[in-house]
Amino acid sequence: MKLGNLIISGIVTGSIYAAFAACVALWYRVSNILNLAVGDFAMIGALGVDNLVRVHHWKLAPAIAATLGAVSLGAYLYDRIVLSLAQDGRTRQEGIVVTFFFTFALSFFLEGIAELLYGTDVHAAPAIWNGQSLSLGGGLHVDRAGVLVVAFAALVGVASVLVLRGTLQGKAVEACGENFFGARIVGIDNRKYRRLLFILSALLACVFGILESPITGYTYDSGAAISLTGFIAAAFAGFQKPGKAVVAGLSIGIIEALLGGYVSANYADTILYALLAAAVLIRPGAMGLDIVPE
Amino acid sequence: MPRSWTPRAGASAEPVGESASALAISNLSVTYGRVAAVHDVSFEVAEGDCVALIGPNGNGKSSIVMGIAGLVHRRGRVEIFGRPAPAGDVSFMPRHGFTLVPERRQLYPQLSVADNIVLGCFGRTRSLRRARASEAHRQALELFPELSGRMAQKAGTLSGGEQQMVAIARGLAADPRILAVDEPCLGLAETVSRRVYEVLRRIHESGRTLLIVEESPKRALQLADRQVEVRNGVVVRA
Amino acid sequence: MSGRRRWLGTDRGPLLSTAFVLVAGLIIAGGSANSYFGSVVILALTYAIVTAGMAVQIGFSQQVVFSQSVFMGLGAYGVAVLNGKVGWPSLLALVVITIASGGVAWVIGKAVSGASGLALAVATLMFPLIAFGYLSYANWLGGSIGLPLTGTLWPGGSATANGILTVVIVAAVVFATTRLVASDIGLEMYTLGVSENTAQAMGVRTSRRRLELFILGSVLATLGGAVYAGTQLFVPPTLVQATAELSLLIMLFVGGRRSVLGAVLGAVGIQYFTGISNTISVHILLIEGVLITVVLLIEPDGVAGIVSSLWRRAAPRLPFAELVATDAAYVPTPGLGQGEEAGISGELAVAEETQTSAFRRHFAARRADEAAATTTLLEVRGVAKEYGGLVVLRDIDLTLPERGIFGLCGPNGAGKSTLLGIVGGSIRPSAGTVILAGEDITALPAAERFDRGVSRTFQAVRLIRGRTVLDNVAVACLRSQRSSLLRGIVISRLPRARADAMEALEYLGLGELAHREVGSLTLETQRMVELARAMASRPSLLLLDEPASGLSEIQRERLRELLRAIGEVTCVLLVEHDLDLIAAIAERILVLESGALVFTGTGEEFRSSELVNSLLIGASPTTTPGGEQ
Repeated sequence: MKLGNLIISGIVTGSIYAAFAACVALWYRVSNILNLAVGDFAMIGALGVDNLVRVHHWKLAPAIAATLGAVSLGAYLYDRIVLSLAQDGRTRQEGIVVTFFFTFALSFFLEGIAELLYGTDVHAAPAIWNGQSLSLGGGLHVDRAGVLVVAFAALVGVASVLVLRGTLQGKAVEACGENFFGARIVGIDNRKYRRLLFILSALLACVFGILESPITGYTYDSGAAISLTGFIAAAFAGFQKPGKAVVAGLSIGIIEALLGGYVSANYADTILYALLAAAVLIRPGAMGLDIVPE
Repeated sequence: MPRSWTPRAGASAEPVGESASALAISNLSVTYGRVAAVHDVSFEVAEGDCVALIGPNGNGKSSIVMGIAGLVHRRGRVEIFGRPAPAGDVSFMPRHGFTLVPERRQLYPQLSVADNIVLGCFGRTRSLRRARASEAHRQALELFPELSGRMAQKAGTLSGGEQQMVAIARGLAADPRILAVDEPCLGLAETVSRRVYEVLRRIHESGRTLLIVEESPKRALQLADRQVEVRNGVVVRA
Repeated sequence: MSGRRRWLGTDRGPLLSTAFVLVAGLIIAGGSANSYFGSVVILALTYAIVTAGMAVQIGFSQQVVFSQSVFMGLGAYGVAVLNGKVGWPSLLALVVITIASGGVAWVIGKAVSGASGLALAVATLMFPLIAFGYLSYANWLGGSIGLPLTGTLWPGGSATANGILTVVIVAAVVFATTRLVASDIGLEMYTLGVSENTAQAMGVRTSRRRLELFILGSVLATLGGAVYAGTQLFVPPTLVQATAELSLLIMLFVGGRRSVLGAVLGAVGIQYFTGISNTISVHILLIEGVLITVVLLIEPDGVAGIVSSLWRRAAPRLPFAELVATDAAYVPTPGLGQGEEAGISGELAVAEETQTSAFRRHFAARRADEAAATTTLLEVRGVAKEYGGLVVLRDIDLTLPERGIFGLCGPNGAGKSTLLGIVGGSIRPSAGTVILAGEDITALPAAERFDRGVSRTFQAVRLIRGRTVLDNVAVACLRSQRSSLLRGIVISRLPRARADAMEALEYLGLGELAHREVGSLTLETQRMVELARAMASRPSLLLLDEPASGLSEIQRERLRELLRAIGEVTCVLLVEHDLDLIAAIAERILVLESGALVFTGTGEEFRSSELVNSLLIGASPTTTPGGEQ
């Protein structure tokens, strides 16, 4: 059943877009920076684990741990060195430059590292849950990796909601997004949350990359497209509401799959991007993009 | 956290030590870029005092309290109960017993009233359970009966006066020994302002130290033991 | 030292930059076009055409877009198709494609012109992906391999000839862009980039300028691509990739994003290093990522910025001090403390009628006009404003004559700034009409109200940092609102605007400060400059938003005298918290509370009103601390 399977695969990629969109939106609320490097962390996760397992013959579990560890360290250092200087230091930057260009540069830096370490071929992390794709009846199939991806996304989603609504720290994060100054009044240090959420986004992206790569395969520049799509999904929520971002991400994933299945495999993504760009240009107000970041 | 958080009940019975100084400000300066908003300001606030910081708008009063709270970059020395406060650490003052109710409230509009208030406890604890169970939190809620039905409402939908109540409740939730209030009646009608000052009086009578920033001093001077006048970023009279 | 010097009727800066590029380029192209070095430079120059446009668009006017590589591809592929497939001469193809790209950019730009900075940036971020995605599978365009050309720009294939042609094109582009940046339109664009609202309040037609900017940047990128095709003879799809866009951005940022010359040299430098070192080109992504981060953190204006600040410190009077950055040259003065500012005399020149500048004559005539005090200028009828459910203003009626000072006060949140915004045009009322000199201006945006004589200052000082006092005031004197962007390349009306601005500054006694950079001034002086800017357009209605905020007692006295003089020649609506100030100079005072006008009366009535006293406690001079000193 072609339509059903397309929708399922759309949900799988859509969950990733949704997760990334939520990360971008949440982090923007706390830091006022748009994370354009999200997808590249996914790529590093996938290629890093693949490299350790296939080339250096590590076992899967330590390979995953090492990659995640390296990425956390990298994210921490990036925030500590670059973002702190950019936002807190004497050379404070304002406006659209900070919002975009730093993570834009980071994205290419990560691609450069990946190209250096892993070459230009397509690779994928070893599947965690091996086996044939599962049959859901009625001709519907889903890859096991896909199940993992959706399950992980759902898990993260539920956990985030619980933490944000149910703990004081979570409310503090929301407060940062609601009123930057008001958060500082009660002693909330936005910088710490900026750092924490950045590292968490990077880790999450990594895990998604590891889980999803067996389905499509990654190469050193796969990250950019994913970053951008997740980013646009977040844009649909005006970079403010993680909930809306999730819905947008899922929808985009499904549309992408449908375009690929019914219109043209080669041009599916291109058409999708054109539609997204048009949506942003024609109705920016609907996406809350008529605010200028300051 | 450096000290345990004991809920207070009424006037302080703690031994005071050598000086009864709750806040000692020396040579405080606050600059925004090239503009020096506050120049070399020094004054002291004794425990249990109510001090009014008065002077025309734009002359540095808000900058002084924000500098004390550590919210803006400052130079100079701020001591709270004898302890020097490091500049740049926004959590130090709430942890050591000083909270600020800022100008124009600065609430979290999409969060509920209850959430806004409980976040005031952030300076003292990171546990939601402990915050909700704390004595100070309960007292803050008691002080404002007009909020009782509105706990679940989004703070942004309340009237100006109600928002001011929430802001004060948030300030009290951390059980501060010193409460600073910046322009409590900004944009509020006369009757509401009276109610706000009623609350402030009760807070003062329960033993807390108050620092009130006011442009129109008539109300503040009714409550205050002392006044510190600020013009052009300098203390003119204390 | 006066402002820019002019040679041959044009600013020195553009001429020197162009001469430099022309001479250096011709030497290289003429001498070593056939060598590896020469070919790298020629290639770099094709990129330089694009980065020059980016310097104007992204750096100078802060319109952040990521579409240059795509337009470069448009130019390159366009010429490749017309030449390689259709058989036209490359040069003809270049001309046709470049002109056609203007149309394409216009269409896209129109779609975009309602969009703000963020939407524009986000949307154009997708362009490289779309273009590359299409090109990779478009067999008629060579697919993932690319298209070859059959003829070079200068027919005959001679590297030297093509090199010289490229240099000439680049020099022309440098000339045009540097002249544009130095012109009055350039000042508009710079102001627009810093703050769209401020620009609109000064009469700048911001949407039109933004569209023109987008078209300019896109056309130049197309031209660069066309020259690329005509000199390299092969067009690959990697030209439009996101990585290509990144490379362009690197060239711009490292060279100097606000400097055209810097952008050109940046392109040459980056291409050179990439070309000569295999290591660098292999690791290019990594290096570029680090490079752009470092530049942003350390010196946002890139190499041009570094050179510029060093040069200024060492030799501010030498010509090249202006070359590498587009800031107006200024001589920084060591910071003065609070208090008296050198350059402001205690007396104001306003009262003197013996001077004969056009400015003074205009205002002298107004002062002499007897009827002005009674002729109605402004009518506000039934104006209301609500945001969602919140009512900020309700049913406001007021009438103001052509002359006089009128105070507007009330507790914070009462709606004073909103009312000012509605009269000024930055806020649309929910109901009611605003009539100026008999014309219903309710639907007119701020920029058009500026043309009709409405001028305002802001609560927080809104001067343009990095430019002189003179230029800041000149923004209000531009009179270029109806001109197209291209006119700025041909003729600059900036000198005349600066002359008008100088008259306004001297009127207020600020003449000596004309060439100081605004960031170095005290708050009082900045407010005075803002006032000068507001007066420079010779407004009939002046809207002042808390001009005394942050000023000392002595400074307020000076302000009082100044406002009194201004009130004799124009209509002033003054929002203020300082009730003494208002009561002293306003002939009529209006009080707002919770969005409604609750009191209208003279200063006397104001002081003795019960309502006012209870509303604005401390209103009476006897209870304001230190009021009677």
